[in-house]
Amino acid sequence: METEIKEAISADSRADARRHGFSDRAFFLLTIAFLLVALAAVLVLSVGMGAVRIGVREVLVSLLNWHSSDSTNSVILFQIRLPRVLASALVGAALSVAGLLFQGLFRNPMADPYVIGTSGGAALGAGLGLFLLPRFSFLGFGGTASMAFFGALASMALVYWLARTGGRVPVITLLLAGFAVSTMLSYSTYFLVILDDNFGLRTRVLAAWLTGVIAVPRWTQLEVTSVMVGFGLACCFPLARRLNTLALGDDYARQVGVRVERTHLAIILTGSFITAAAVSLGGVISFVGLIVPHMARLLMGPDHVRLLPVTALAGAIFLILTDTLARTVLAPSEIPVGLLTAFIGGPFFLYLLRRTRREYAL
Amino acid sequence: MTPLLEFENVSFSFGSRSVFDNLSFTIEHGERSALIGPNGVGKTTLLRLAAGVITSSSGAVSLAGRTVDTLRRGEAARLVAKVPQRFEVPFDFTVEQIVEQGRTPYLGLFAAFQRHDRRAVDRALELADVTSLRSRIFNELSGGERQRVKIALALAQEPRLLLLDEPTQSLDLGRKLELLALVRTLCHEGVTILAAMHDLQLIEGTFSSVMLLEPNQELRKGPPQDILRADILESAFNCPPRQPKLAGENRALLEKML
Repeated sequence: METEIKEAISADSRADARRHGFSDRAFFLLTIAFLLVALAAVLVLSVGMGAVRIGVREVLVSLLNWHSSDSTNSVILFQIRLPRVLASALVGAALSVAGLLFQGLFRNPMADPYVIGTSGGAALGAGLGLFLLPRFSFLGFGGTASMAFFGALASMALVYWLARTGGRVPVITLLLAGFAVSTMLSYSTYFLVILDDNFGLRTRVLAAWLTGVIAVPRWTQLEVTSVMVGFGLACCFPLARRLNTLALGDDYARQVGVRVERTHLAIILTGSFITAAAVSLGGVISFVGLIVPHMARLLMGPDHVRLLPVTALAGAIFLILTDTLARTVLAPSEIPVGLLTAFIGGPFFLYLLRRTRREYAL
Repeated sequence: MTPLLEFENVSFSFGSRSVFDNLSFTIEHGERSALIGPNGVGKTTLLRLAAGVITSSSGAVSLAGRTVDTLRRGEAARLVAKVPQRFEVPFDFTVEQIVEQGRTPYLGLFAAFQRHDRRAVDRALELADVTSLRSRIFNELSGGERQRVKIALALAQEPRLLLLDEPTQSLDLGRKLELLALVRTLCHEGVTILAAMHDLQLIEGTFSSVMLLEPNQELRKGPPQDILRADILESAFNCPPRQPKLAGENRALLEKML
């Protein structure tokens, strides 16, 4: 009798849980559907906004026909606005997902895409490109963007090599080495300023770039970056499940058969690669990679498999919105988008921090 | 019959500090063995060797007749599961999300959760009696509940050997007894258990054998009544000069150690 009751109760709670599991799943799918619709809407609206307003209907018609005629609006749409909006979407998605990867890796919600020193390498690379290779061009990327990309990857490799001891890379050492290398590299850009004989013009360009500016990219640049970011995001899918296991500790992960060091390396490589790709389009944009994964986590819970698509979509939407603001609020002059992400992202982040009021375990 | 776990002349050292030398013992199927010994003697290290998380400097650790270095990581994880002593979770994972991680050895990088994975998780939650907590957030649970969730996590691996590291640590008396009841249940379910234990007074009645690990001494193994003797424990744990009341009385010494 007693076992019968017990069985009945446990069967009941299983059914309950399954119902619960289903609604979780439904919630996830609804969120994804909502984000997709929102992304499309934000894209169409922001393409229409700017010095010349283009109506939603006209935008839709041109986008659906996908042809660029010689009309002014068409040129604005296909040569200026659309590339820039798509670039913001790519950069936003890439930085947010990189932030998610590093927060998961370091088991610390304060980590961001630049946490292991990529920003310092990107800064120095950008500076070198700007001052030494001003006429360089490769696949549509100028010297600044290309050198920033390689600088970011090189600094990541240096940090990883420095933190490696006896076949292992302790994450705390990685964090510290990243901080030191990043600081050293970004300060060394000041030496370049001394070389500046152009009334400080390049210095100002560099400063804006280091705050984050999404320029109007060429279509080849967009193609190259989307391939890189797309490849990076595809690599994230198998890593997302591993991040869930790693959240329970390296020792635990090792015990259930995860090759911990190799997985760490894969996460670092993927994260740095998509960060570098984002940097080559938009400079060093702060806060996106920190707060978007956070917002996603508040909405979806900590399961990285579900967080991954939500974070990517939310990051794209967030940066399209902020970049549209950046170029329209004080039109015709432009605010660096990094400034806006800090001014919008900062207070919002603090609000979330105050509201959730929970202590994070390290 | 091949023993489930076998240590054959196993030595292990951290750098230059030797932890054990030529350690040999076996654990048979269905055994419930308590591993005791003073702090720092290497109980956790022994469990980690058995789980295949670290490898010995020399000698062989075998699981079900195969040495751990010939087993692939995932294979070892289907034979043996270790319940960690320290377990910090940085994000707000629910109990169910945590226990699902126990299926990792069975899942490839791309494979989705199958029906039998789901069943294994349900069964683990049920065995560890945490089904009612499945939607709760792990970090908000009490110490006793967390301990049971950790065991459910290990059970989701469907291991034949379960390694417990100080399972009763920092639990109140009632939760300690609950945990021992769980150990006995698991054994009836066919899980072999090796547990590092500090609470010596809780061993008799639950564990079928005791292994005493002492620095620079041979490992002793035997039924609880043979090992949990005042003279043996006093020297092993380097107890202070005896008080008259302790002499010869197992019970009294054990009470002293509460």
